[in-house]
Amino acid sequence: MTDFDVVVVGAGRAGTAAAYRLAQENVDVALVDRARQPGMKNVTGGVLYGEVLADLVPEFPEEAPLGRHVVEHNVQMLHDDASIGVSYRDPAIREEPNYTVQLGEFDRWFVRKAEEQGATFVPETTVRGVEQREGHAVVATDRDGGDITCNAVVGADGVNTTVGRTTGIRDPVQPENVGLSVKQVIELDRKTIDERFNLRSGEGTAYIFAGFPEGAPSVGYFIYTFESTISVGAVGNMATLQTYGDQGYDGQGTPLYDLLTRFKELDAVRPLVRGGVAQEYQGILVPEFGYDDLPNRHEGRVCLVGDAAGLVLNKGFTFRGLDFGVESGIRAAEAAMQCRKRGNWNAFGERYDALLGDSYVMDELRQHSRLPSFLENERLYEAYPAVARETLKQTFSSEGDASGLTWKHALTALRRQDVGVRDLLADGWRAFRSV
Amino acid sequence: MSTDEYLDDVEWTVDDQGHITVDNGDCEDCSDKPCLHLCPAECFDHQEERQGEIYFSYEHCIECGACLVFCGNDPDKGAVSWTKPEGGKGVEYDFG
Ligand SMILES: Cc1cc2nc3c(=O)[nH]c(=O)nc-3n(C[C@H](O)[C@H](O)[C@H](O)COP(=O)(O)OP(=O)(O)OC[C@H]3O[C@@H](n4cnc5c(N)ncnc54)[C@H](O)[C@@H]3O)c2cc1C
Ligand code: SF4
Ligand code: SF4
Repeated sequence: MTDFDVVVVGAGRAGTAAAYRLAQENVDVALVDRARQPGMKNVTGGVLYGEVLADLVPEFPEEAPLGRHVVEHNVQMLHDDASIGVSYRDPAIREEPNYTVQLGEFDRWFVRKAEEQGATFVPETTVRGVEQREGHAVVATDRDGGDITCNAVVGADGVNTTVGRTTGIRDPVQPENVGLSVKQVIELDRKTIDERFNLRSGEGTAYIFAGFPEGAPSVGYFIYTFESTISVGAVGNMATLQTYGDQGYDGQGTPLYDLLTRFKELDAVRPLVRGGVAQEYQGILVPEFGYDDLPNRHEGRVCLVGDAAGLVLNKGFTFRGLDFGVESGIRAAEAAMQCRKRGNWNAFGERYDALLGDSYVMDELRQHSRLPSFLENERLYEAYPAVARETLKQTFSSEGDASGLTWKHALTALRRQDVGVRDLLADGWRAFRSV
Repeated sequence: MSTDEYLDDVEWTVDDQGHITVDNGDCEDCSDKPCLHLCPAECFDHQEERQGEIYFSYEHCIECGACLVFCGNDPDKGAVSWTKPEGGKGVEYDFG
């Protein structure tokens, strides 16, 4: 007899979704987290694409503590102090339940919902390792006498997964496969946010920026609006940050917090972030795997969900991991229900993997499998912003020849940047195929 | 540029034991010392007189895991032994 049927390690959204779904089906489940209160350790951008959560917890849009309903997305290319942007609003995205969320409040709410369903929440407990034995698994914690026995383990413990590392399911992560992010939360009052970002009450917007500093590949920035705060962050691939620039110990490397500080001072950015009171600073990693190099995610009675399994779609400085976590957690719960029905837990991990393989998470990752290599293309960060800038300058500057946006200007600018038409067409094709 | 101003807004329940340790012997052969610019909380300080020129303090670590990846997981470096703090200890975010 084990202590629980299932132990879920980590009460982020991935783990909590698994516990919620299991408790709903009267499976005996423990949800263990190291934080004093759910969410205290957790950081995101970001926008929650809420459809799967609305299926699991129908009352979520009314009940959960949410930021703003996202009605607008902006993309800005930076070139020195110049900026070129696209702003996208569309009644079609208004219909979707997509909201900005801050995990402190949100995770507290979600864990309470799982407890209401009957899950046992165990806070302030750090899991140190998981071992598979004949017929059961043991979750070792830092509590005195705190080993928990169970039939199956769901590792939902985030990007630096203890479960994945101590079971050997995950190989040591390399700098190429993570992004480092630093982020600041700035308090502005609600009205200022509405006016500054041209929003109606409750409406939110998302910005991403690339091209700063000039030519830095895989470094980007974001701004998200919440009720009375905004978050401003920088993110860069760790391998890039290790060597790009000349501010490090032996003359290479760039501190990301320094880029964030300089970013906030840019002409295109300062008006958006000025004033207000800094409330919080955070640093976090985000998995950056392509579909073809996703890490292992199961063995025997143990499976990994959410960031622990690297299930994040990198769309170029924005990420989609919140809803992937929820969906993978639900799939883990379904696998556990199948095992319980059959009275055999040995193939828990395999069942999870098969169910996940059929889910939209793997579909989306597969469809975007070419995106990461496209994003590493340096022309995207150096030549193209420069070309676009040159072309627009010819069009709008009083010093330009005012004949409008012509191919001739674009081609002249491209030649100046040493980019051939062949490159342009090839990159355009890759971009098209990857999205 | 330093992180002092940023870290003013962070809160911790500091444990009396460090969750990360650095074996300075391994720092002696590390020529690029990425810890000095990649740790977002500047827990690694350059001090000439120390072995390997590195002084590490865990108290204001924000538990991002970067040093696990760029040092602990790198067989050529490997000075960092990385774990998570005890339950209820370490960094605590309000917003997230
Ligand atoms: C800068 C940035 C921006 C992003 N923007 C977006 C966005 O806009 N939209 C989007 O969908 N996604 C976004 N993401 C990705 C998204 O935040 C993650 O994919 C998601 O939070 C992962 O959820 P999770 O439940 O898997 O893990 P986490 O939220 O990391 O939860 C892990 C939990 O496990 C606990 N834990 C860890 N180790 C242990 C242990 N040993 N013992 C006990 N408990 C433990 C932690 O305390 C935590 O509660 C962004 C990520 C970053 C870094
Ligand atoms: S990166 Fe690791 S090995 Fe190199 S100096 Fe820093 S702590 Fe030492
Ligand atoms: S975990 Fe992150 S914040 Fe803590 S010491 Fe390592 S790099 Fe610095």
